[in-house]
Amino acid sequence: MTTTEIPFLLELVIAFFLLIGALVALLGSIGLARLPDFYTRLHAPTKASTLGVGCTLLGSLLYFSFINEGISVQEGLITLFLFVTAPVSAHMMAKAALHRRVRCVRRTRNVPWEGDES
Amino acid sequence: MQLALLILMPLLGALLPAVRRHDPVVRLAVLAALPALASLMLLLSLLPQVLAGETLLWTREWVPTLGLSVSLRLDGLAWLFATLITGIGCLIILYARFYFAGKSTAGRFYTLILLFMAAMLGIVLSENLLVMLVFWELTSLVSFLLIGFSWDKRGARRGARMSLVITAGGGLALLAGIVLLGQVVGSYQLTDVLAAGDEIRAHAQYPLILSLILLGAFTKSAQFPFHLWLPHAMAAPTPVSAYLHSATMVKAGLFLMARLHPALADTELWFTLVTITGMLTLMVGAFVAMFMHDIKGLLAYSTVSHLGLITLLLGLGTPMALAAALFHLVCHALFKAPLFMMAGYVDQATGSRDMQQINGLWRYMPALMVLTAIPAAAMAGLPLMSGYLSKKMLFVESLQVSSPDWATLVIPVWVTLAGLFSVAYSIRIFHNVFFNGKPVELPIYPPKKISNSALSPLFLLAAATLAVGLAPQLAYQWLVQPAVSAANGLPLPPYDFSQLGARLPLLMGIVALIGGLLFYMARNPLFAIHARLPEVDAKEIFEWLMQRCIRFSQHQVYGLENGSLQRYLALLLGTAVVMGFWATEGFRDWQGSIALQPLDAMTLLGGLILCGAAFGVAIFHHQRLPALLLLGVTGLFVTLTFARFSAPDLALTQLSVEVMAVVIMMLALSFLPQQSPSESRWPRVSRDLIIAGVAGLGVALFAFAILTRPMESISSFFLANSVSGGGGTNVVNVILVDFRGFDTLGEITVLGIAAVAVFAFTRDLHLKERAVPIADENWVAEPHPIILSMVARLVLPIAFLVSAYIFLRGHNLPGGGFIAGLVTAVALTLQYMAGGLAWAQSRMVMQFRPLIGAGLLVALFTGLASWVFGYPFLTSAFGYVHWPLIGKFELASALVFDLGVYLTVVGATLLILANLGKLMTVAGPGKEIG
Amino acid sequence: MIAAVIPIALTLFAIGVLLNLYRLAKGPDITDRILALDTLMINSIALIVLADIQMQLGIIFEAALLIALMGFVGTVAMTKYLLRGDVIE
Repeated sequence: MTTTEIPFLLELVIAFFLLIGALVALLGSIGLARLPDFYTRLHAPTKASTLGVGCTLLGSLLYFSFINEGISVQEGLITLFLFVTAPVSAHMMAKAALHRRVRCVRRTRNVPWEGDES
Repeated sequence: MQLALLILMPLLGALLPAVRRHDPVVRLAVLAALPALASLMLLLSLLPQVLAGETLLWTREWVPTLGLSVSLRLDGLAWLFATLITGIGCLIILYARFYFAGKSTAGRFYTLILLFMAAMLGIVLSENLLVMLVFWELTSLVSFLLIGFSWDKRGARRGARMSLVITAGGGLALLAGIVLLGQVVGSYQLTDVLAAGDEIRAHAQYPLILSLILLGAFTKSAQFPFHLWLPHAMAAPTPVSAYLHSATMVKAGLFLMARLHPALADTELWFTLVTITGMLTLMVGAFVAMFMHDIKGLLAYSTVSHLGLITLLLGLGTPMALAAALFHLVCHALFKAPLFMMAGYVDQATGSRDMQQINGLWRYMPALMVLTAIPAAAMAGLPLMSGYLSKKMLFVESLQVSSPDWATLVIPVWVTLAGLFSVAYSIRIFHNVFFNGKPVELPIYPPKKISNSALSPLFLLAAATLAVGLAPQLAYQWLVQPAVSAANGLPLPPYDFSQLGARLPLLMGIVALIGGLLFYMARNPLFAIHARLPEVDAKEIFEWLMQRCIRFSQHQVYGLENGSLQRYLALLLGTAVVMGFWATEGFRDWQGSIALQPLDAMTLLGGLILCGAAFGVAIFHHQRLPALLLLGVTGLFVTLTFARFSAPDLALTQLSVEVMAVVIMMLALSFLPQQSPSESRWPRVSRDLIIAGVAGLGVALFAFAILTRPMESISSFFLANSVSGGGGTNVVNVILVDFRGFDTLGEITVLGIAAVAVFAFTRDLHLKERAVPIADENWVAEPHPIILSMVARLVLPIAFLVSAYIFLRGHNLPGGGFIAGLVTAVALTLQYMAGGLAWAQSRMVMQFRPLIGAGLLVALFTGLASWVFGYPFLTSAFGYVHWPLIGKFELASALVFDLGVYLTVVGATLLILANLGKLMTVAGPGKEIG
Repeated sequence: MIAAVIPIALTLFAIGVLLNLYRLAKGPDITDRILALDTLMINSIALIVLADIQMQLGIIFEAALLIALMGFVGTVAMTKYLLRGDVIE
């Protein structure tokens, strides 16, 4: 099993997916580290990282489907699972943060508890 | 096989009354009598062979390399005892049918009594001494349960504990003695041991062996000073007393002495130990019995006395003395059982056992009086009765003693005196109960009537007593003679009963009779004197000793274990560190011959993160939730490490366990404050830090030393044999379900037990009555967010698919029942979290406890199935099937075993989680979960 | 080409992991830490998949799949605890 067996075009596509996936996921992680408050930070990993890992999985799916001469089901399953659960995780975390009244940046509009405090 | 059946029938038969325990007593008695009668009949059918002097043996090898085999033996001695056990057992079962009439506890009684019968039969029929020892302990245990039968009474509990402590303690001594004996002889088979008598007696350890074995026999047979437990065992229901404490269990010690007679007897030491113990017991028992007012107490002490008598005869060592001992043993069993039965009826009819109250019952129960007259007369040793003969035999034998010098005079006088007492208490129990004026303040007056049919067991036993008395020669020939021949290994001449008419024994008998009568007539002043003596209650002394023992061990334990986990860890690790230093002192070559692998950046990074996260957990452990998150990081990186070094099975397991641990710790956090206060001072912290650091470095060093050395371990065998032997390429799984299947079976059993224990502990426990108001300011009102519960339902089939996949391919590729079970459990836990306890519980098709049970049974029966095909337990069979999409797929019997593992894991995990979750939920399902 | 891309991708993900850990350590709120752990789990899936391609094993997918499942369940359990103070009710 060496990479030379794979046709050049396919190899190109796989490499593209792996690289793009890694870059997008890194973007998500940078967002997580750099953005100012929790609510903005929540966006970065749940969208970008999920997409990035999805791309990586797609690359892997193509790779193993070719090598094992059959559709590699597992990656598809993982991708499906990630895409289904990531929004729910984000939803739950946002709920928790709102419930705990986690601090938000000053420009935020429609803060639910602002009325209470005034 | 017949011999095994003798024991198996009552053993398995014990299940019948247990299963049908709600049936009426009559049917239970029939159920219980069937196996007992069957054993008795089988024994009787074997009589001709026994009379011919044959020794029947049956052996089934168990662990031949260790000399362990289940072997049974039936010869004259065993036959005599076995017949007594089953025969009297049948009558007791009949008796209990009347005694327990209208009570709900009959089923339990019959189960235990059959178990006991099986255990006793096991003792007398064992050819292997170790097997005998197992049955010996079993009788102690079952007798504990029987004495404590009425466990709501304090006296019963204490009596049961006392008997267990004494007899089980003796059992330990016996174990030591038998192991030593086996080592001296080189075999635990009775045949070898009995043949090696001279060798044993000449051995330097003979005194030790003898003392230990006699200690076992004496405690069981209630010899002085271990006789204390027997009177307190009278707290048991009367059928138990009649069976265990007169006819069978206490005879086990005597049986042992008779059985090992050829191997151990005929020495000065034997004579001294056994005879003197017997003499003391004889006298103490007889004396105390004289002054007992409790009918059962009197009978108990008289039993002690008779046991002493038989022991005394066994100590004399001559074949004729042995014959007299066994003859008396038969007589005693036959006359003591009906006396106990009488005591039980009187107790039930009058509500009292006090002979100061019970008087003149002949008016109310004449038939009982007539039937009691015979065994009482036999106990007293009146002419024409069996007891008369055995007592005369005792006198004759006592006169035969020629050495040592003191014994020639002391023993005859002693036994005459004891005979005198026994006449006195025998007269008392008969005269006092049935005559002696009128009843005094009986709780139940007039006494209840006893139906004539209820007297049938008494009638049969009294008839037997009479028969032995009238035709001693016959009883002797059929019962005692083969027994003594078997016990001694020599043919025994027929007993010359005419010699009993000789002058001196006759004179002794007359002295005893008249003396006893006089003693009884003068009882009132004697009682007055006795009442003035300081009263010593053995039970109080024993309890005091027990309390002291318990307090002493509590002191020791709590001195060491004060409940501080840090302390335990410090002690354990400190010991390990010291031992490690001690063992490796001067060792320098830590690095072995194998070269180190190159280090890549990713692995290094992972290792550093792992270490950092672990440190973080230790540093921030006061803040519980962040610490838990860091723990999650540690778990994740351990998983990644497993994956990096090609241990996918470990990685999968680690992950699944990790998330279950998080959920369980979350549940626990619900009861705990968010932060724990810092309570340790810095010397303590630095001590712990040093110990932990040194221990951790030490482990790392050892791991390094071992991993850099070529190791020839068993793993190469597993790798080589996994496909050919277990039919799977995933060695980990093949080891779990095939090579080490038996271990796995044990482990899932433990898992199931642990889960059921959690269920039992949390069953009636409500930690906090926390009713959540609709809008609490601390918590969100909506318990189950709708998005979550919807997606959780979507996730469930995916998770099931994954777990089925992991399960099916587990034999060849990473996976298996354990991981699949955990995945399923996690997915179902998600339903509990998302949908709520009540919601999820109402959708569970099967309860968890049956699930655990089903899993265990599946695993067990897969193992047993290989027996059907003639292979050892848990041998697996396999073949291959090709399934689309999943690939080449194997059908192995190990897969079924793995299914059992899977079911048990799912059931156990969910049972624990759901019950822990239930603790705080007030609006829970309203019924128990599991 | 794939052989050349994989180390780059691995490195990028490793940097991502470090950034996640930074957020996990810094917080400031517990929700931030939970989010960081969740992202960490997702990034590890990619790490495992890439390592699988690199080592040509093709057998540690299940680990990736399970990380996805377990990460989700863990996050749900923790947020549920924050929201209601009780995980299973």
